[in-house]
Amino acid sequence: MSIDAGTKSIGSEFSGEIPPELRGGEGDVPPGIGPYELAWRRLRRNRVALAFGGLFLLMVVLCLLAPVYAHDIAHTTPAAENITGTVKVGGKNEYIVSLIGIPIGPTWHSHYFLGADANGRDVAVRLLYGGRNSLQIGFVATFITMIMATILGIAAGYFRGLTDGVISRGLDVIWAFPAVLLGVALGVTLAVSGIDIGPIKISGNSLFVPAFIVGFVTIPYVAKPIRAQVLQMRDREFVDVARQQGLSHARIMFGEILPNVASTIIVFIPLILANAILLEAALSFLGAGVQPPNPSWGTMISDGVAEIPAAIHLTLVPGIMLVLTVLGINVFGDGVRDALDPKAKVRV
Amino acid sequence: MLRSPRFVILAALAVVVVVVVSACGSSSSSSSSASSSSSSSASGATPSVTLLMGTAPDSLDPQDEYTTQSSEVGWITWLSLLSYAHSSSPIAGGSLIPALATSLPTITDNGKTYTFTLRKGLVFSNGTPVVASDFTYTVERALKIPWGGAGEFVGANVVGANAYSAGKASTISGITTNNATGQIVIHLVAPYGAFENVIAFPELGLVPAGTPFKNEPNDPPPGVGPYMVTNVVPNVSFDVVKNPRWAAQAIPGIPAGHVNVDVKIASNTSSEFESVLNNSADFADWADTPPPSLLPQIQSQASDRFSKVPFNSTYYIFLNTKTAPFNNQLARQAVVTAINQEAFSRLGSGFLIPGCYFLPPGMIGHPTAPCPYGDPTAGGNIAKAKALVTQSGLAGTPVTVWSETRQPRQEWMTYYTSVLNQIGFKATQKVIADATYFPTIGNLKLNPQTGFADWNQDFPNPIDFYLLVTAAGISPTNNENFGQVNDPHINTTSAQLGTTPTSQLNSIASQWQALDEYTAKKAYVAVFGYQTFPKFTSSRINYGASIFSPQYGWDYTSFALNG
Repeated sequence: MSIDAGTKSIGSEFSGEIPPELRGGEGDVPPGIGPYELAWRRLRRNRVALAFGGLFLLMVVLCLLAPVYAHDIAHTTPAAENITGTVKVGGKNEYIVSLIGIPIGPTWHSHYFLGADANGRDVAVRLLYGGRNSLQIGFVATFITMIMATILGIAAGYFRGLTDGVISRGLDVIWAFPAVLLGVALGVTLAVSGIDIGPIKISGNSLFVPAFIVGFVTIPYVAKPIRAQVLQMRDREFVDVARQQGLSHARIMFGEILPNVASTIIVFIPLILANAILLEAALSFLGAGVQPPNPSWGTMISDGVAEIPAAIHLTLVPGIMLVLTVLGINVFGDGVRDALDPKAKVRV
Repeated sequence: MLRSPRFVILAALAVVVVVVVSACGSSSSSSSSASSSSSSSASGATPSVTLLMGTAPDSLDPQDEYTTQSSEVGWITWLSLLSYAHSSSPIAGGSLIPALATSLPTITDNGKTYTFTLRKGLVFSNGTPVVASDFTYTVERALKIPWGGAGEFVGANVVGANAYSAGKASTISGITTNNATGQIVIHLVAPYGAFENVIAFPELGLVPAGTPFKNEPNDPPPGVGPYMVTNVVPNVSFDVVKNPRWAAQAIPGIPAGHVNVDVKIASNTSSEFESVLNNSADFADWADTPPPSLLPQIQSQASDRFSKVPFNSTYYIFLNTKTAPFNNQLARQAVVTAINQEAFSRLGSGFLIPGCYFLPPGMIGHPTAPCPYGDPTAGGNIAKAKALVTQSGLAGTPVTVWSETRQPRQEWMTYYTSVLNQIGFKATQKVIADATYFPTIGNLKLNPQTGFADWNQDFPNPIDFYLLVTAAGISPTNNENFGQVNDPHINTTSAQLGTTPTSQLNSIASQWQALDEYTAKKAYVAVFGYQTFPKFTSSRINYGASIFSPQYGWDYTSFALNG
């Protein structure tokens, strides 16, 4: 069963009273404490989750510092090519790319610290810029997913009937395709034509294209659980009271119901973010994500595959960065989930 | 997908595992193909060998195919009236021989009438007898499907072909046949020196009358030839097996072949060359370039079964002469001046021979004069190119560079994009899948600005290359003149030189040289080299006996196992 089965509504209408299922055996909870304060206390006690959260933050900071590294240490840019040039290693001038095309390996100096790629570009610089692009796409895609899924999920669950039918079938159609397959199909098409919908015009090379694709294909995975939760919630007393007070549908959906599904949304954010980063890497690996010469960890792994016999670091280094980042955010996300829902069975 | 957080963690870990496994997993995974081939050999049946193609053939229907991979299969499967000698020698291998015709044609009417006689007793691979009118039917089918070269080579030359193609006639008036005598007479609109080479195209390989007028790549029609195509799994594999009816026909100069060939489409060039290196496949696609990282291993471990062979080919960057910035000669000159052919060569594993002329060195008419915009081996002159762009007033113009994904073509265009940005343009790269690249940029509506292009000769006549830079080569779809070059001097001169028969090209070599120098001065294309190709086999193949045809690459009829 998908994660929505294990992610229960925990907002409980913000009555100020902690529902029994949230107490998680903590009989010493001070009276009047809110569920989020309680979750924060639990999270602070989860050192593993905090450590991995720190790891993720470290990756983000490293990637944000890419321009500083490129400008002040490596003295190059991520797109600067130097195929026929040389670099001094151990007092000797060595080709950055050999006469038959083999790129130089790690020099462990400021220039080409992690070596060069086939086009003579500094791998360390591209690694950090690639991380920026991967994270940027991950964040934008997560934003798109969460916004769209929240709106669609709440609307479907609240209105039911025809609205629910149309939205749910639409989500089913997206869900029916394997995410990577759908992503590749969209990616290949949009890489050529870009996005041109009325006033919205986005070039096929823009990072927003893979962000949009990743965000789009993930919508059902969040929208469906939210819809299910709203379906249960729409007949609760506090919604009836809101209706009787004459509040508009929009006010009820986003003023009354949304705060009660907020914790579910919060639990989903790190999972979707991790998934978005991985999906972007997969799409870029398959040539349907970030377009060259822009780097991303996926494109770097893809570019390095042909060089594996002579330069395995070209695939290994971005692969490790990807793993550490996704691992960091996932374990932290798991900790957040445990904090919000201590009865959850899945723990790291 | 989002089953639990653990799933995502496992997926992340899988990335590392995939990377590591892909580095060492290919040899074990593909070794079964070699063993299966060996077993068929041991059982006494015709042995099989495995040939890998880096790119799937565009079609396995003779009247639709037009790429190197499909022509390589076509020329031994669907013979036309003429064919080429089975030889690795550039001269002998470029010589025409009679195939389904009894002899080379009789040419009369000042080069406008070609008369052939069909051999007697020919049968298609399905047993249907061949008659002279099958030739007309085949040409009609090529025009209707249509084959990519149909308009340029047949429509423009054969009387009534364009009218038939446009639906204004029920048959091609310029072709008459007599099934009783086997005589085939073809009337041309005007003399065309390479028309015998046109007749030898595998795309005009005979199929039985009644074969549907639609592309049938997955169920290819029968042909006359030593081989036939079976078991087509699109984009995955197909078999090229010996035609059991060929032995009785015994056409001189066309061998029967020794083995069946299992063709598999390789997922990438690394695995392709690794498979041949470790003997789990027998032949690598000659049109692919070995990855730089594998080349030292290939040269050290397989030097007795690997060599670089020349082939008349030109690798170039097309420049759209109808659209800014390359409708300006200074902008085009800037590109030619800026590119560093040494960089292209290194990205291509050292397989490129530098040069600046459109006609390759092995082709009659290749100029001997120095390059107009500097020595191609001296490295690009970025400063001079930048000044040219400034002078043109087009600095900052957005440019989209089109490229395939295939190594090293993508890397070449990544480098080229970087050069364009260095000299003052605002360039971005657009990478699309190999299988759809040429149809995409060949769509005139797309109007691509610049990008990768190459041409491997169809036949040993410069007119074959000049179709790519003349008005005749411009078409709404399957366009091959990607830069839409339409220069009256090139159009008229090439048309005039094109009337000289291929066998008499030496008499007009200097005129072709002058035309090619003119093309280079105008910088209509930015040539970045002439490719040499890898002739690479497994150790169980008789390497010396394997013929590399100067027309079609691998000659399957020459494949044989050692011992």
